[in-house]
Amino acid sequence: MRIPARLTLAFLSLLLAAGSPAVADEPVLVYTVNYPLAYFAQRIGGDSVRVVFPAPPDVDPAFWQPDPDTIRTYQTADIVLLNGADYAKWVSSASLPRRRLVDTSRAVAERIVETGAGVVHSHGPGGESHGHTGTAFTLWLDPTLAMAQTAAIESALTRARPSSATAFESGRVALDADLAALDGSFQRAFASLGDEPLLASHPVYQYLQRRYDLTIDALLWEPDVTPDEDDWRDLDALADAGGARWMLWEDEPTAATRSGLAERGIGVVVVRPLGNRPGDGDYLDGMRANVAAIERAAAGE
Amino acid sequence: MIDSFYLAARYLLHHPGRSLLVVACLVLVAGLPISLDRILSESERQLTARADATPMLIGSKGSALDLVMGAVYFGGQAPEAISLAEIEAIEASGLAYGIPLHTGFTARGAPIVGTSVDYFEFRGLAIAEGKSLATLGECVIGAGVADRLEIGPGDTLVSAPESPFDLAGVYPLKMRVAGVLAPSGSADDLAVFVDVKTAWVIQGLGHGHQDLTAVDDPSLVVSRDDGRVVASAKVVEYQEITAANQDSFHFHGESSTYPLTAALLVPEDERAGTLLLGRYVAGDQDFQIVRPRAVIGDLLATIFRVKEILDGAVAIVSVAAVLALALVFSLSFRLRERELDTNFELGASRSTTARLLTAELILLAGSSALIVGMALWLLDRYAPAIVRTLLVG
Repeated sequence: MRIPARLTLAFLSLLLAAGSPAVADEPVLVYTVNYPLAYFAQRIGGDSVRVVFPAPPDVDPAFWQPDPDTIRTYQTADIVLLNGADYAKWVSSASLPRRRLVDTSRAVAERIVETGAGVVHSHGPGGESHGHTGTAFTLWLDPTLAMAQTAAIESALTRARPSSATAFESGRVALDADLAALDGSFQRAFASLGDEPLLASHPVYQYLQRRYDLTIDALLWEPDVTPDEDDWRDLDALADAGGARWMLWEDEPTAATRSGLAERGIGVVVVRPLGNRPGDGDYLDGMRANVAAIERAAAGE
Repeated sequence: MIDSFYLAARYLLHHPGRSLLVVACLVLVAGLPISLDRILSESERQLTARADATPMLIGSKGSALDLVMGAVYFGGQAPEAISLAEIEAIEASGLAYGIPLHTGFTARGAPIVGTSVDYFEFRGLAIAEGKSLATLGECVIGAGVADRLEIGPGDTLVSAPESPFDLAGVYPLKMRVAGVLAPSGSADDLAVFVDVKTAWVIQGLGHGHQDLTAVDDPSLVVSRDDGRVVASAKVVEYQEITAANQDSFHFHGESSTYPLTAALLVPEDERAGTLLLGRYVAGDQDFQIVRPRAVIGDLLATIFRVKEILDGAVAIVSVAAVLALALVFSLSFRLRERELDTNFELGASRSTTARLLTAELILLAGSSALIVGMALWLLDRYAPAIVRTLLVG
């Protein structure tokens, strides 16, 4: 009996389908508490990951308080990347799956900077103290610490998806190469800025300070707020004591602030902390822009 | 033979009380041991299922049974606490991950179990109404708690002030019910689940209050110098965690020192579990790691040894009951001698009389067997629910 050609073709198609590779795995769902970690995870994971950083673009993730429904979306993640160093205060009061939390700075915990700033309180003279500040958390500004975070991310992704270990390693190596180049750029840029102490609008540059052997005196000024007389007196005291010529800012200060600083012979250098998504580009673009700002300042522009 | 059964049935129906009594005796003699055995088997199945679903437990050194009953069935006295540091050390070894458990407090008669959201995934517990835990101060209740207290998502539940950790008691915490779990037929149905950090707040290790650096009332502050404010006992601590005051909640001291009743340990694989047991079982630590299946197995072995003795006693009593029934029948036949003689004079042969008496016995035994069969069928159908009620409450 002759078998109809169509039947044969259908049978062969079924055979091929049965032998073909399985449908691709779902991407590993990664939630992060800040933008740099999201960038690192995406660079390392590529198509094997779906990275979510749900904070609105106009908030500082360190102090963002997600609503309960957003916290519940974190619970659905395969991996939740934490920055460590007491970053993202909301984590301490949220119900997150312990098994899937990854503290990306655990391996370098001994290198976390204790600020020792702020007021602590206790209940009764013998009670244990509790303070509301204590550790510097902008680890990602130091490329060498950022590389420790990328290693932790690669490790977590590999545990979640062992079949993609090679791809994750390649992604991490490429990212680390970019971070190493950035480290070199920062070294050269800060070296060209001179040895005088620097001022900072906010105490967020501790890791840059340590990595590049800088002296930074920090105030608590906001870019969108023009300082009052008391603030200028505080600055004058610091500037006179150290002879600072440059002040690092998280964002562009007001024109009045720039003018006041210029009168005192202090230039503005915008070095964005990049805790949240930059307006343009990505983390590397933002960090390169920071390097460029330092270089321009050193060149007297 | 049909005629014999007809006459036997008419005779038995003519003496309903006596017939029912005999049937009842036969039902009890045959059905009771089988029913007890079925109930015990179902109890064993349910107890071991829960223990089997719990690979390992870590808790303070002492009674392994107390540890298992407290951590797996949320019953009994809360054992001595271990610290979170023990769990973190095991997790750092990479051999297992831990799910913290904090028990000891209650809310309207239901045990409060402080844990992490990993617990629900591990036990396969789904939310039937409302949502899962998200923030401090929320709770998720078992289906049995929801039914008993008639509460659901959006309602509140206050923790009892009695505390096993402090004779003076603790301030109650008003918790928001975020969700209700689907029924699981286990101890989880009767528990109130909170994040372990909320349990620590109930215990008084964490609290919220007004910002002491900004208060005007001098009686709230014992002393204030550079960098340190010492609060007085007058500072009022919040009894409910809300969106408005949540940021004020904090913990004093290192969280790794905070107490846990126990922790479920889920080894990465069988080999990791063996390594874990080997690493910790012989040490001088203040804690122990147990396999609940082994602990419950030992308990059941003891129970079933006692059961064997009881089975023997029941068997002897059953034999005695059967002998007594045989005596009753024998005496009954003697009492019916005149009736049986009448049958003979009416023309019934001895074999016919024997068939009549045999038919009566068969009908009595058959009725008993039918009743026992129906009862066992019902028992098989409802035993799981009956045992759950007995075990869980």
